[in-house]
Amino acid sequence: MRLTLPRLVTLAALCSVVSLSAQQPPAAPVPGPVSNQDILKGLDTDGANWLTFGGNYENHRFSPLTQITPENVGRLQPQWTFQTNTLGAFETTTLVRDNVLYVTGPQNVAWAVDARSGRQIWRYRRELPDGLTACCGLVNRGFAALGDKLFMVTLDAHLLALDMKTGAIAWDAVLENYRNGYAATLAPIVVKDKVIVGVAGGEFGIRGFIDAYDAQSGKRAWRFYTIPGQGEAGNSTWSGESWKVGGTGVWVTGAYDPEQNLLFYGTGNPGPDYHSASREGDNLYSCSLVVLDADTGTLKWHYQFTPHDVHDYDATEVPILGDLTINGQLRKTVMFANRNGFYYTLDRTNGRLLVAKPFVQTTWAKQIDPQGRPMLEPGHTPDEKGETTCPDLTGGTNFWPPSFDPRTKMFFVTAREACATFYAYKPEYVPGQRFTGGAQQVVNTRDVRPYGAIRAIDPATGERKWEYVTPTPSRAGILTTATNLLMTGDGEGNFLVLDSRTGKLLWRYQMGSALHGTSPVTYMLDGRQHVLIPAGTSLTAWALPAEAR
Amino acid sequence: MRTILAATAIAACLGGGTLLRAQAPAAAPRTNPLVGDPAAEQAGMGMFRSRCADCHGMDARGVRGPDLTQVWASGRTDDGLFRTVRRGIPGTEMPASNARTTDDEIWKVLAYLRTLAAPTAVDAPAGDVASGERVFRAQCAGCHRVSGRGGRLGPDLSRIGAARARGALVRRIRGAEEDWIDGYEPVTITLKSGQVIRGVKKNADLFSVQVLDNRERIQGYIRDEVREVQERRVSAMPAFDVTRLSERDLNDLLSYLATLKGFDPRVQ
Repeated sequence: MRLTLPRLVTLAALCSVVSLSAQQPPAAPVPGPVSNQDILKGLDTDGANWLTFGGNYENHRFSPLTQITPENVGRLQPQWTFQTNTLGAFETTTLVRDNVLYVTGPQNVAWAVDARSGRQIWRYRRELPDGLTACCGLVNRGFAALGDKLFMVTLDAHLLALDMKTGAIAWDAVLENYRNGYAATLAPIVVKDKVIVGVAGGEFGIRGFIDAYDAQSGKRAWRFYTIPGQGEAGNSTWSGESWKVGGTGVWVTGAYDPEQNLLFYGTGNPGPDYHSASREGDNLYSCSLVVLDADTGTLKWHYQFTPHDVHDYDATEVPILGDLTINGQLRKTVMFANRNGFYYTLDRTNGRLLVAKPFVQTTWAKQIDPQGRPMLEPGHTPDEKGETTCPDLTGGTNFWPPSFDPRTKMFFVTAREACATFYAYKPEYVPGQRFTGGAQQVVNTRDVRPYGAIRAIDPATGERKWEYVTPTPSRAGILTTATNLLMTGDGEGNFLVLDSRTGKLLWRYQMGSALHGTSPVTYMLDGRQHVLIPAGTSLTAWALPAEAR
Repeated sequence: MRTILAATAIAACLGGGTLLRAQAPAAAPRTNPLVGDPAAEQAGMGMFRSRCADCHGMDARGVRGPDLTQVWASGRTDDGLFRTVRRGIPGTEMPASNARTTDDEIWKVLAYLRTLAAPTAVDAPAGDVASGERVFRAQCAGCHRVSGRGGRLGPDLSRIGAARARGALVRRIRGAEEDWIDGYEPVTITLKSGQVIRGVKKNADLFSVQVLDNRERIQGYIRDEVREVQERRVSAMPAFDVTRLSERDLNDLLSYLATLKGFDPRVQ
């Protein structure tokens, strides 16, 4: 055979493949590209994937998988444990695709992990600059995925696209200058060809926004400022120049309604957090649900839960979309358990308030008027002497995701019962510095101490159906399944499995660190249903032994 | 493992670099020049409340950030605390102070914190230290330890002289303060056998409780496996009124406690 140049090249390529495979360990699972259709399917009965933050666009965190049941859950066995070997704890929702897990951790480290063995396939570590201003932990809440790319925001306020197979950077987009107090921690979501993100920094005098970036190029497609600019509707709800530094970050993932092509995002607190006189007015669109056209970022409607908030009641909780029968009528709704202590159901086609009821003790307002505005109780504006309000700063609930069971139409939330004394001082704005104008002191005495509860709420009425009380407040999110399992954690590191119909404890396991701001995910792998539990710096996969299935 | 070691080495190098850079000006005094200056303490209080209290709490006893009233008691120095405030703690939420923050401002905040944490000049001891030590041995050492000697049911008091102001100690000893410290609340556990265990609660959750019992054994119990767990959110410390501790003995005791500023290897 004559060795022509093309043949030589082919031979050389073959040799290099052979020599590579001789040196490499056995091939790792190969991730397949993620399509929009895959994401739209959500958590189907095939159950091998978890491709977007809430499991589906509606954020149900409800799995149709049925192998693990109330009867056999006590026989779950650990399959492996993955350790981050970094400072800080997981707040992430792991994505699952074709036997590979995609995990973001603290300090903007991220991994692809073999779901069968818990072994790392690749690791990405961001070189973070000094002087980060991330308010509340150097955390990250997860990836989004499309095609062969993963999308992750960073503590220095960038959005990265990583190659799913290698973890190499495909593109790097700057959201804003982190030196001015901007950071990013939420899990992005992918809608069509765009990646949707928001920015944190409500304690640092930022002007918040929600952005969309082209998933292929990283080019920004649109921006929605959560504080209207001069001359725009809503700008006059901020006294003087306060809108320029009014915070209103977006640091928790929203929902997407494919039918209406609308995004639903909760917005953060106005800044300075506690000092009322620094920003008179309703302070739109802080502490609100903003509903945007997913193609253009245009505001369709909004609902402000806490006008002129002075207790740091961010509305950065996870909205859930679902259809409910209310007063005999089937409604397309958005459900929202708010940090301010109220549970809300809104008509998601027009923003009309359908249900609003406290799900924890609230003293700043006891009810919401028919126009949807809270009826304020007197004496709850913080000052230098301090005033006591329930809930406390951390709120009736917070960013940890709730769950919705679409079969039983039940809403599950990790609630906190706590009060605090709030103080306020006039602050000075210095770019990149904390700009909160006060602080709180949690009421914790011999007779009054904070506690937590997992609560089941009927979203058609706001009524509580059951609760499971924990002696200290938990910050764990919730996963439910079609076998009536509710998986979550308490504040002491116990992983808890409850019966979602009754709240009865079915099983527990001490993980050694509490689930923080996230829930387990569940998926099928080689015919076995797995539950993946992030707790502290560890990620542990559980499944049933053969004889229990 | 190699990755961890390498990361640690890099972190150490980076930390060292930061140290060298930050030490270059070296103008900052090693002890706080503003301790006891009322105007500085007042200004420091304002700065603390607006810049620090969000994480450390209005009373500095800690929220997300740690309790700052215990830092001197746990062995931190003015110099070390100054550096922490100036540089922050990399990899945590504790930020470096911005370039516009003056050394003077940091010392003011620390001067204020010191008023929450440590005795001030007005706490000058007036009693008999030797007599106070005898009182301590007779009345307190059953539960409290000093320099490796004494009981363990109450907090170790080896640094109490640097940690608590005289007034706070009086209130605690006389029982005027309804307060407790996690880890020192009394607990009574009745086993299924009927045996009763008394001690202080070191930790607990919904399913278990961990105790140091009155015989100083540390032990955990599963709640489902015992008959009863009685917990009270009070301090296990009894109140010593004047019938149990005279004013003179109290004064001597306080004088002795004021001398306790750290582990003393001479105590046998």
